[in-house]
Amino acid sequence: MEKKEDILLNILHKEQDKKGYISIEALKRISSERNIPISRLYGVVKFYTMFRTEPQGQYIIELCGSPSCVQNESREIEKFIEKELKIKIGETTKDKLFSVYKTSCIGCCDEPPAMLLDGKPVTKLTMPRVKKLLQELRKNKSKTKKPQNKIKKIKKK
Amino acid sequence: MKIKITIDGKEMKVNSNKSILEICRENGIKIPTLCYHKSLFPEARCRICLVEMNGKLVTACSTKPQENANILTTSERIIKARKMNLELMSPNIKINELANDFEAKEIYDQIGLDTDRFVSIKDYHPDLGAAIVRDNNKCINCGKCVAVCAKIQEIYAIDFASRAHNEHVTPYEEKKLEEVACIKCGQCLINCPVGAIQERSHLNEVIKALNNSKKHVIAQTAPSIRATLGELFDMPPGTLVMGKMVSALKKAGFDKVFDVDLGADMTIMEESAELLKRIKSGKNLPMITTCCPGWILMMEYFYHELLPNMSTCKSPHEMLGMLIKTYYAELSKISSKDIVVVSIMPCTAKKYESTRKELHTGVDYVLTTRELGRLIKQKNIDFVNLKDEEFDPVLGLASGAGDIFGTAGGVMEAALRTAYETSTKKKLKKVEFKNLRSGKGIKEGIIIINDKKIKYACANGGANIRKLLKNKNKYQFIEMMACPGGCVGGGGQPIYFDEKVLQARGKALYEQDKKREFRRSHENPIVKAIYKKYLGEPLSKRAEKLLHTKYSVKDKF
Amino acid sequence: MQILRQTNLEALKLAMDIGSEKTLNILEKKNLVGRGGANFPLAKKWKLAMNSKNKSKEIFLICNADEGEPGTFKDKFILKNNPETLIEGILIASYVLKAKRAFIYLRNEYDYLREELEEKIETILGKSEMKNKVNIEIVRGAGAYICGEETAIMQSIMGYRGQAMYKPPYPIDEGLWGKPTVLNNVETLTCVPQALLYDDWNPNMRLFSLSGDIDNPGVYEWELGVKMTTILDTIKPRKERKAMSFGCFGGIMPLNKDSTINTETICREDCQHGAFSIIFIGKERNIVDICLSIAKFYAYESCGKCTPCREGTIRVLNLLKKIRDGKANEEDLILLKDMSQHIKETSLCGLGQSSTNHILTALQHFRGDFEQYLNKNLTKEIKK
Repeated sequence: MEKKEDILLNILHKEQDKKGYISIEALKRISSERNIPISRLYGVVKFYTMFRTEPQGQYIIELCGSPSCVQNESREIEKFIEKELKIKIGETTKDKLFSVYKTSCIGCCDEPPAMLLDGKPVTKLTMPRVKKLLQELRKNKSKTKKPQNKIKKIKKK
Repeated sequence: MKIKITIDGKEMKVNSNKSILEICRENGIKIPTLCYHKSLFPEARCRICLVEMNGKLVTACSTKPQENANILTTSERIIKARKMNLELMSPNIKINELANDFEAKEIYDQIGLDTDRFVSIKDYHPDLGAAIVRDNNKCINCGKCVAVCAKIQEIYAIDFASRAHNEHVTPYEEKKLEEVACIKCGQCLINCPVGAIQERSHLNEVIKALNNSKKHVIAQTAPSIRATLGELFDMPPGTLVMGKMVSALKKAGFDKVFDVDLGADMTIMEESAELLKRIKSGKNLPMITTCCPGWILMMEYFYHELLPNMSTCKSPHEMLGMLIKTYYAELSKISSKDIVVVSIMPCTAKKYESTRKELHTGVDYVLTTRELGRLIKQKNIDFVNLKDEEFDPVLGLASGAGDIFGTAGGVMEAALRTAYETSTKKKLKKVEFKNLRSGKGIKEGIIIINDKKIKYACANGGANIRKLLKNKNKYQFIEMMACPGGCVGGGGQPIYFDEKVLQARGKALYEQDKKREFRRSHENPIVKAIYKKYLGEPLSKRAEKLLHTKYSVKDKF
Repeated sequence: MQILRQTNLEALKLAMDIGSEKTLNILEKKNLVGRGGANFPLAKKWKLAMNSKNKSKEIFLICNADEGEPGTFKDKFILKNNPETLIEGILIASYVLKAKRAFIYLRNEYDYLREELEEKIETILGKSEMKNKVNIEIVRGAGAYICGEETAIMQSIMGYRGQAMYKPPYPIDEGLWGKPTVLNNVETLTCVPQALLYDDWNPNMRLFSLSGDIDNPGVYEWELGVKMTTILDTIKPRKERKAMSFGCFGGIMPLNKDSTINTETICREDCQHGAFSIIFIGKERNIVDICLSIAKFYAYESCGKCTPCREGTIRVLNLLKKIRDGKANEEDLILLKDMSQHIKETSLCGLGQSSTNHILTALQHFRGDFEQYLNKNLTKEIKK
């Protein structure tokens, strides 16, 4: 049965799925359509760290910063990525290719250190693996947005 | 259902549906609070109202005791916990700068702080506006401004954004209040316990004008100020201080002190003529009053379809301001360029109102009641012991109808007195309208003028305005006041914590009405003189030009 | 593994055959308790909701898949390896509670599992007897740990910021949109069909999420009271372990090779085991560094509503940084302990109340690690 979506989180996600971020125009539209005050919508979007209000890079990297990953050298991977991409955590590269963030635990503590690349986990990171991955993503940028075959699958227990 | 509990060793039977805080307040037991508001759902944010219940620390505002609960309202553990929460807030509160008005000052004095170990980590840009200034660096995240704007005013201009220590209050997209649908009513300001929200001060500009010998500076005071100014000098709420107020203004250096109540009388003359005209034609009804700039903003943002219903009358101080710059300037042979008109208002929205381009204002500056209090203190005037003085007679005599403008329902009552008597040429049996003095959020009634049934209603506070507008077509005449209680509860008034204060302030204005020689606007001899000598009659060409205005619509985003 | 046993809609058929009351009786006898960390008896929670004094008799069901506690990944394991049984558990719960709307609050970090989960829901619901009786909707989280807390998850679903609310009122009385709401963990709901259908279902099996300084991190299933030696043999520690942290919230306790893992042994060390996620800490590490990364987590994830947690978590983090940088003295340690105790006692919700367990237990069991960093030559400082 086709039901009109009334869960705000899902409405905002659908909006973010379109362009990678939620614009103010989108908030105004949702406010008018759903009769929700825009101040509240903005407050909701800003509360959740995975909602973005600005255009993002083509690839979004979210590095796990939880204790298990930290104990398994995640900080080295962080510094390496910052050096490779010449940006700090929370920024987007000038060529609009990569946006890099740090998150709380993503639940890949059995294969640390880990990150989410466009929402999909990439685990057991090492500096050489990350270097190779970034190179491949750079080559792929003209083809697809989400290079499925380039991301390693998680080992099943 | 009644249950038995023990508070501080004393057994008592209480209503099981009340919180510990409510029970304590009913029994005269003091518990400090910062984020609690009587009319709002308790959120238990500040954690200052901690008490011990059955050995556990709980917040009194949000906890309803069970049968046989053992409650302590003070103990070493409780005091330590309250102090620590206060210490966590204190880098923002800046206790040295805190005036006595603010709730936090009283809490500070009650709880006391032994240690002050933290420095501020906030770094926000203050939001400077024409009417209201917000400084997030001082905010303690109590949430009252957000809750009042949402639940009591139903404007939703601001909300919390971000989380953890980055949680802050903001309009959408970190915009300034000026840039969003905010009606400048100042209710957020009135409810802020730490003074993080203040009015935009024009005191320095006014003092500069007072010090300029070339300028003829005139003060004109709103109806409600005479019932509230005394509170800034520790007089009980509802003390009429009309005479002292005039005296203080004169001692402060104003060349003349006029009464905006007279402006209110002029508004009544114009507005009742307008009403009778519309009732005759049957068009653009219900007619809605426009003395309240907060309501005007509300209409412009949210109720575009009501543009034709609005009265075209300016608000009383704008009418009088314009008359000062024209009628009075002619009479006194002073150039209007050298006249500076300062309105003393209960209202933050009026600071914005005088910047409206369509208004062609005669008012140069607006000061709130609080700013006047500051001016009086700065000039070292002993307010409480002042001898009563009279308004300057040229534009200083008003009727009782003008006085009651300051309380919700007053404009309606004043207008009906004149509309009825000028139209029917008969005197009202009862000049006081009891149904408009009830203190309710929405008041209504029926009056018969020349065999025509006129249904009227008044609403005060944003939520009540929205409620009344749902049934607006039942009525022919509506009074809207954006602030709860009307102007006595305005954003520029002395900070108050209890509804009873509003009632006392309103009662004082009704007392003033009784004392007046003239109770109806059309009886005021000065009003008659202004029309005879200068304007001709209500709604004349000159009156339209000087005393009327038009409104626009605004995008709510 | 018991948790991977399939029931193929047989348990739902059984429940619908014998009726709600008998189903509840079985679940009660089987002693099924919640696996989200609170260990509340399942049948009791469902009964409380069904007998709530709320005027509305409509009950909502929420499956809490917002597994956010660092070091926890058992629910992900279930979502990937046995979602069918989870879905059947949701259907049985909906049947007993007469819920017309069931929500799965899936954290955004697991969003890559959503598509497959949606397909499975459609298939299984479609061929079950609960078709047209309940609507299972996935609510997508957006990166907030607090939304795993039961009042915050409801605020989040209703379209507000996910800030916690004080209790009472409890969700089983006044939850989503003011109506009775039952919140159950993924693992708990997966156990429902298994407990119902299989006579040999063991209520004492638990899923352990183990990670940290070990070579074999992963999800393991053991019975409560499992020996420490068994665990250590399986996870192949890299070097000597010295401590274990129960997620971020449960506290840090010394590792004793001769002990067993059950509620008693853990509470004895003033810790809480919650959902049995254990992060192992190697001997070479200074506990202050562990506390620092946990404190960063809380300062970032606090919802911001109440003063002690909002202001306290960042202050505690700054204090730990000061200690780690060698700029602190004895007074700072006292302030750290006082502040931690204060946040624990006066915070509004479980997040704040457990946000300093790591510090309090670390100070208790590993004080030496802190004193190692203290600058004893520093004269008394009043302002931090």
